[in-house]
Amino acid sequence: MTTFAPSAPARESVPDSLRRASLSRRRRLTDVVARSLIWLSLAVAVVPLGLVTYYVIAKGVHVMSWEFLTERIPRQAQTAGGGIGPAIIGTVVVTSVAALIAIPLGVLGAIYLNEYGRQSPLARTIRTMADVMTGVPSIMMGLFIFIAFVLLVGEKSGFAGSLALACLMLPVVIRTSEEMLRLVPDELRQASLALGARKWKTIVSVVLPAAISGITSGALLAIARAAGETAPILLVVGLVYRANWSLFGENTALPVQIYRNAQEPFETAVDRAWGAALTLVAIVLFTTLIGRFLANRFAIKER
Amino acid sequence: MTQTVNNNRNSLGRRGRGVVGDRTFLIVSLIAGVLVLAILALILLTTLREAWPAFRYSGTDFVTSPTWVPNDPDGDGPAKAQFGALAFIYGTVIVSIIALLFAVPISIGIALFLTELAPLRLRTPVVTVIDLLAAIPSVVFGLWGIIVVGPRLVPIYDWFHDVLGDVPVLGSVFGKPIASGRSFMTAGLIVAIMIVPIITSITREIFNTVPTEDKQAAFALGATRWEMIKGAVFPHSFGGMVGAVMLGMGRAMGETIAVALTMGAAVQIVPNVFASGNTLPAVIAQNWGDPGSELGRSALIACGVVLFGITILVNYGARIIVRRAEVRMKGAAV
Amino acid sequence: MNRNVLTRRSILVGVALATLAAAGCASKEPTTTPSGAANEFASLSGAVKASGASFPNAYYQKAIDEFLKVADNADVTYNSVGSGTGKKEFGQGLTDFAGSDSTVKDTDGVASGSFYYIPTVAAPITVSYNLSGVDSLKLSGTTVGSIFGRKITKWNDPAIVADNPGVTLPDKAITVVHRSDGSGTTNNFTKFLVAAGGPGWTLGSGDSVAWAADTQGGDKNTGVAQLVKQGDGAVGYVDFADATASGLKFASIKNKDGQFVAPSLDGATAALAGAEVKDDLTYNPINAAGAATYPITAPTYLLLKTTYTDAAKAKLVKGFVRWLLTDGQSFAASVNFAKLPADLQQKALSQLNKVQG
Repeated sequence: MTTFAPSAPARESVPDSLRRASLSRRRRLTDVVARSLIWLSLAVAVVPLGLVTYYVIAKGVHVMSWEFLTERIPRQAQTAGGGIGPAIIGTVVVTSVAALIAIPLGVLGAIYLNEYGRQSPLARTIRTMADVMTGVPSIMMGLFIFIAFVLLVGEKSGFAGSLALACLMLPVVIRTSEEMLRLVPDELRQASLALGARKWKTIVSVVLPAAISGITSGALLAIARAAGETAPILLVVGLVYRANWSLFGENTALPVQIYRNAQEPFETAVDRAWGAALTLVAIVLFTTLIGRFLANRFAIKER
Repeated sequence: MTQTVNNNRNSLGRRGRGVVGDRTFLIVSLIAGVLVLAILALILLTTLREAWPAFRYSGTDFVTSPTWVPNDPDGDGPAKAQFGALAFIYGTVIVSIIALLFAVPISIGIALFLTELAPLRLRTPVVTVIDLLAAIPSVVFGLWGIIVVGPRLVPIYDWFHDVLGDVPVLGSVFGKPIASGRSFMTAGLIVAIMIVPIITSITREIFNTVPTEDKQAAFALGATRWEMIKGAVFPHSFGGMVGAVMLGMGRAMGETIAVALTMGAAVQIVPNVFASGNTLPAVIAQNWGDPGSELGRSALIACGVVLFGITILVNYGARIIVRRAEVRMKGAAV
Repeated sequence: MNRNVLTRRSILVGVALATLAAAGCASKEPTTTPSGAANEFASLSGAVKASGASFPNAYYQKAIDEFLKVADNADVTYNSVGSGTGKKEFGQGLTDFAGSDSTVKDTDGVASGSFYYIPTVAAPITVSYNLSGVDSLKLSGTTVGSIFGRKITKWNDPAIVADNPGVTLPDKAITVVHRSDGSGTTNNFTKFLVAAGGPGWTLGSGDSVAWAADTQGGDKNTGVAQLVKQGDGAVGYVDFADATASGLKFASIKNKDGQFVAPSLDGATAALAGAEVKDDLTYNPINAAGAATYPITAPTYLLLKTTYTDAAKAKLVKGFVRWLLTDGQSFAASVNFAKLPADLQQKALSQLNKVQG
């Protein structure tokens, strides 16, 4: 056994029983196996992402062209050519209106939760239920809006789709916005109040601007998720082959076109599905990446 | 003497100019917050009301009978429409179980990787990859599953069937694969990929709450990294992991479009995971265009009610478990 | 700002405006010169909506495309949502006319006496199959019934071998593909199975039936076609137009007279000629008599209101359906539908004349 001399190199002072070599073979083996399994699970998760991306790009690129993005949807699935222009327009219209509905409401709700309600029973209930609501299957929102809106109004429409998507986005926006508001230091609020501003003015002029980048990033992520939803649109928005820029009347959207074309036996239809998938994935990934970038770049760091 | 912005003393009290603004803002934001509760309640009420005719028509058969024939055939078939959703409930459960069997080990592995094993440089790329996985819409997974994955998996299923076909219990589980590959197993695999991100992120948060002292203590006692994980991380995180798994299960049960595409749409209760089946949300999506009759539409909505009930229970229970675990770890400041 | 920049900017603006103008012109529908007889349709205007059966969808979409070329001020939309929803939307007044493969029942939401049936086209329902190495297949009615009733589960079953002397059939499992959504196609196919399927078929008929275990469902005719195409050993019922467009192989079915007839437009027309037509113009060509009839021929109708309150809509609907029954019939063959035999066409036109509005 060596003496503990401060200037001696660390290795010399390590007792034999603590060396790696003294580990029983079984323990060493278990450790190696466990580590390898962990690395393997990482690979297993990355592989599908790579495969999906590869196929979407490889098969979608064939059909991709300016005509594809702007032309009408062929009425007959086996017709070659045509495009998904109306679907892109539908996705843009329906999702933006949904965002216009959900984001202000979500931010307001988050303001209530963080600034007013805090830990009150009502606020805690809302918080739990918002979490629960993020787990509600999207088809339920479609059923709800169908019963509560489409049956009342009498026709399927893009607006009904926006309502359904807004219901989906609302809990996500509330929760992420609340997290962002919570990160705003209390000192800012106290300083504003000390200067004589009312509480609402404090929130609007001081707290919100401080949290705005985080809220924006959360909103973008919610938008990305809503743009990719199929089930609610399938139920309440109907189907068109020509572009419909208005909220009234039936419309279509990229995910629905992918869903329909995926089940066709015609090569041209399946190609169209891949092209639409490429477009949708591009939109969604782009929005997600911007959201993440904003979150990382401008976020208020945890204390 | 300090000067305040507004010299009017009243404006700092309860009767000042800005009170109306304060109160209005409070009310507006309160309404926005309560909207969440209102929507959830409305979903339950409206769907229950529309589904009631079907529930009344079928009685308890709705959840106990596997026969689903929505129309009243004008031939000499079954005398009247039958709505038994047991096959769909079965399908929902089986697909979720298969998805969890694959997703949970992978998610735990990735979460461990991110908290214990990863070199700092690798952490951000891996997190980005998981986020990207979460961002891909389910319909794209469905398209990939139905065109690329399903047909390619059939030879693998065939191999399993050939090898295990004669074994007593396993033989009926790994039965004859359906020719197109659209089956419980394919749907389960695709859903597994889709629920990995959510299980991973919650599990990672839970693992992050393990006190560093416990981990260091384990190392000090001579544990290998795996032994440290087994001894310090897992016991602490068990409750949270259960919650994360339940959240993943809730998500798996609600997955509609990817399952509707990759499961094969057959109404049957069979042990063979390579055969086709159907789930509650998928049957709604497939038949919504033409439910056959008012009663048929009501029956589809009734499937939605059953699904809603199951997923709310699972999600609510999961959130409570996760929150309780987090509180225990971090203290009450959650 | 110096003159060069100003000139450059005005040129850019000019180019942009010109491009917009060109794009605007280019996006208009190219109009073909209407023939003399078609000019009566050119005066039609407005928009009408229809929905219903997916079986005749390919024909209706083609017909609308062609019709809009001669009536370029009008717009007709047909949404293939299935006969059931089509009838319901028609009964609720959401659509101006509906397409249906099946007759209207009390539960469909359409008041009896408020509509007319107009037969439009007909088409065979094929029994499409995917079996490598077997390029022609004959099936008798009882064999089809036993296959779809899952009493026969392998391709080299004695019953199938008996129908196909001289053909070697592989020892492969049969995958039965049916519709996952309720459908008039299923209704007509199962009616054939009830009529000619023998003891192997016990599930009755209807828009959906309780299919046996180990079968697969596809969404709409095209979904079934896709499943048949993807699986070696698969067999399913697909309408002729979609099956031909998908490149599937069809089985020849034994008709009532004992002949094995392949699905074809002539076989369908023969079935229509041999069918009995009721007063309200519904008819049943399933398992009709005649040497050349294809026994699984499905009828399809348009449902029109007896009276339209909106005069402009009435004019457009009647104009479109008249075109469909006259000039439109010539397009049927190009999308693999059988046009009506002459006397049924006349009866349909006189029924159309009864529509008020």
